[in-house]
Amino acid sequence: MKVPTEHVLCLAAILFGLGVLGFLVRRNVILVLASIELMLNAANLSFLAASRHWAGTPGGEPLQGPIFALFVILVAAAEAAVGLALVIALYRLRQTVDLDAANELQG
Amino acid sequence: MAEVLFYVLAAASIACGAGVVVARVPLFSVLSLLGAFFSLAGIYLLLGFPFLAATQLLVYAGAILVLFLFVIMLLDLGNPAELKKHDGRALSGKRLALAACAAGALALAGIVAASSDAAPAGAPATSEEALDALGPLATALFSRYALPFEAASVLLLATMIAVLMLAKRQRAGSDRNGSAGWPWRKGVEP
Amino acid sequence: METRAFLWLLLLFPLLGSLSAALIHFACLSARRAGREPQALTRLAGFVASAAILASFGVALVAFATIARAHEALALESPAWHWIDAGSFQVEIALVVDRLSSVMLLVVTGVGLLIHVYSLGYMQGDPGFAKFFAYLNLFVFMMLLLVLSSSLLGLFVGWEGVGLCSYLLIGFWYQKGWPAEAGQKAFVVNRIGDASFLVGSFLLLRLFGTLDLSDIVGGTSGLVSGRSGELALAALLLFGGACGKSAQGPLSTWLPDAMAGPTPVSALIHAATMVTAGVYLVLRLAPLFASSPSALFVVGAVGTFTALFGASTALFQRDIKKVLAYSTVSQLGFMFLGLSVGAWSAALFHLVTHAFFKGLLFLGAGSVIHALHGEQDLQRMGGLRKHLPLTFATYLAGAAALSGLPLTSGYFSKDEILAQAFGTGGAALGLWIVGMIAAAFTAFYTWRMVALAFFGEERFDFHRVHPHESPAVMTGPLSILAVLALVGGILSLPHVLPFHGLLAHWLEPVTKEATDLLWTARGREVPELSAGTEWTLLGLGAAIALFFARRGFSAYARGPEHDQALRAGRPALARFLERAWTLDEAYTALVVQPVKLASFLLATVLDQLGIDGALNGSAVLAQAVASRQRGLVDGSVKTYALWMGAGAALFAVVWMAL
Repeated sequence: MKVPTEHVLCLAAILFGLGVLGFLVRRNVILVLASIELMLNAANLSFLAASRHWAGTPGGEPLQGPIFALFVILVAAAEAAVGLALVIALYRLRQTVDLDAANELQG
Repeated sequence: MAEVLFYVLAAASIACGAGVVVARVPLFSVLSLLGAFFSLAGIYLLLGFPFLAATQLLVYAGAILVLFLFVIMLLDLGNPAELKKHDGRALSGKRLALAACAAGALALAGIVAASSDAAPAGAPATSEEALDALGPLATALFSRYALPFEAASVLLLATMIAVLMLAKRQRAGSDRNGSAGWPWRKGVEP
Repeated sequence: METRAFLWLLLLFPLLGSLSAALIHFACLSARRAGREPQALTRLAGFVASAAILASFGVALVAFATIARAHEALALESPAWHWIDAGSFQVEIALVVDRLSSVMLLVVTGVGLLIHVYSLGYMQGDPGFAKFFAYLNLFVFMMLLLVLSSSLLGLFVGWEGVGLCSYLLIGFWYQKGWPAEAGQKAFVVNRIGDASFLVGSFLLLRLFGTLDLSDIVGGTSGLVSGRSGELALAALLLFGGACGKSAQGPLSTWLPDAMAGPTPVSALIHAATMVTAGVYLVLRLAPLFASSPSALFVVGAVGTFTALFGASTALFQRDIKKVLAYSTVSQLGFMFLGLSVGAWSAALFHLVTHAFFKGLLFLGAGSVIHALHGEQDLQRMGGLRKHLPLTFATYLAGAAALSGLPLTSGYFSKDEILAQAFGTGGAALGLWIVGMIAAAFTAFYTWRMVALAFFGEERFDFHRVHPHESPAVMTGPLSILAVLALVGGILSLPHVLPFHGLLAHWLEPVTKEATDLLWTARGREVPELSAGTEWTLLGLGAAIALFFARRGFSAYARGPEHDQALRAGRPALARFLERAWTLDEAYTALVVQPVKLASFLLATVLDQLGIDGALNGSAVLAQAVASRQRGLVDGSVKTYALWMGAGAALFAVVWMAL
């Protein structure tokens, strides 16, 4: 019952870091999107942890945390949908989902 | 008891997160993500947010992840032959190092912030009472947060339209740029 | 002081004449473009312009008569025009004809009229005929503004205006190249004088609170005790301006170059009128100068030096116009000499006679040049008295007056100046001695010029050039001026003769205050010469003039060989004198070259290397940075992602640190 809030936030930080790592490292576009989802989840976790932390104190908005997390989930869904549609379009164009395939700049 | 459960779920989520990053086969990566979702849902429950936990499972695990799986199956990316095709170059060491540094820095920042003395001690994390009771949540959603709510619905509409346009199969032989074009481009050969 | 509105007509006529001639000029240009040659129209410009000056001369006569008829000193003033109204600084311009400016007025309009008529013949056939008359009329307008202004500011407007017209007229034949440079030189050197003039007028404004000339003149005596130093400084600065306009001292280099302009221009502007503006300025502000002996000393020193300088240089000139130009510089020096010893009316007298005889000489030289189809070199003339009898006769009259042969106008005016210098005594005696030397030189070079041009054998090719007498429209003014040059001495005969001192008497109401300030306020007596001294000086002047005139004439009567002899005898001296005491070379070395060097340095080092280098360098730098940066955007999403991640991490680190 007495898990300190710091630990939860640490967990969220680690998950976020893993998400960033995956976002930067993976070559498959779909998996990059998956890493983004991981990051969003970590953010959600920190929202809820904070909401719980401040729950008893007066003067705060107790529902801000869950509402925000709800909206994050919603937006993540929309974003995943659009992203995957883009992946399909990219696949049609290049017959691959490698990140490097979408590179026509001469640079 | 709850604490132990929390730490177990935490470890599980970290493991699944690592799986997302590391797995070679895309399918496994997405399945690790599913595991992460489950663990996080459990943690939400422990924190006292049952509704959020349920929503997480419904939407994330039930819809988004399914979408991912659909696309992976559609593009047949788990195929070993496909995998060979995508193998190409190995991960460059320099890039990996840079990425690790970036990720590490961010994580570190979060941890340091979390454990800073600035945050006053409040109620401990885990609890048994539900903090997102449905009634007040719904009322808040339709009163105080009505604007974001409506905006979110517009966002979803836009998303639907966007996905439709993006995924539309091109008809063979049709003008890729659209037959109408801008009025003043009529008659101009592309 | 009575008000007469008609005085504005004096300015109006030349201005309208100028505008009409300008319009005719443009009409001629468009006619020529259409292929027609508008002869009648062109001649009309000349008539209109001359008629305008005639009208102004008429008004000038009326004004003069009005003043002359009055018993006491009368001055006519036109209605004033309120120009500047800026709090404590008020400027009203009115035209004032008093006894001093009436004399100048008659000279400007009278001699101007004669020169206009002369130009009808001289400039005939020139494509810029109408333009010439437009400029000439504009010049008269500006000169009249200068002479008649009641305010120093109005005078300055006229001052600048005549400088402008001088520039335009010197460079009238700019297509030839060097006249344009000469005009520029005249303008630039004048500018230096003008700067001095302006600072002087600022000082006067500070001292008197106004630029009104009568106020300044009237208020001088009040300020003498307290602020004589500032008064002297203002006087000196204004004299600096006068030096620029009247080609004195180091600022004289522009006048010989100005001979590049048509000869009527040299006659009107650079002999009779514009160059006398400096003398007029000092005369107008005579009390200011009289109040400060140091200023007068400088005026005298510069004037006398210039008299000697001009006369010595004229001894060796080959170009007939250059002889006359240096002669003008020298004679102007005489006028300033006179001013410096308080001989106000003598200086004005010499101004008037100089306008007569120098104008005559220039017009005569123009007649000679016209007859020889542009030849100006004395060494290629000779024996012209047979071919140009009328020109020759009038030229003799002018030469006699210039050299100061007895009973000519120039004799009396020069004598009056030198006599007053002698009478003042003290340091002025030195001025007198140098003045006599310069007078000797004057006689010598004048008759050298006459001998080389009109006597001896013909050194020009008679068959190519048939010199014939100029038309009546040119010889008419010559004759009138010749008469004036001979009998003009009546204006101010010495005291020992009957009808003496007419001009001095006429000017007395205007010059009284200055004379007072100069002598009686200092407890000294106005210098008077005894009859014996006067006769002696008259005789001495006549003897020197006759002696040196004869020497000059006989040395050159047969031809210019004497020049070679002199040159062979003393080559360095000859070269020094011929090159106007190497003044131009000195300027080039001391001023022009350093300025050129400085501008070269600024242009290449500062501008090209420094400023352009910095600009171009920054552009090159921007390009280099940009091309390095371009590598970042290589189209690869993972690179973008990497940079995004790096940016976020940096942000987090910074946030942590803070």
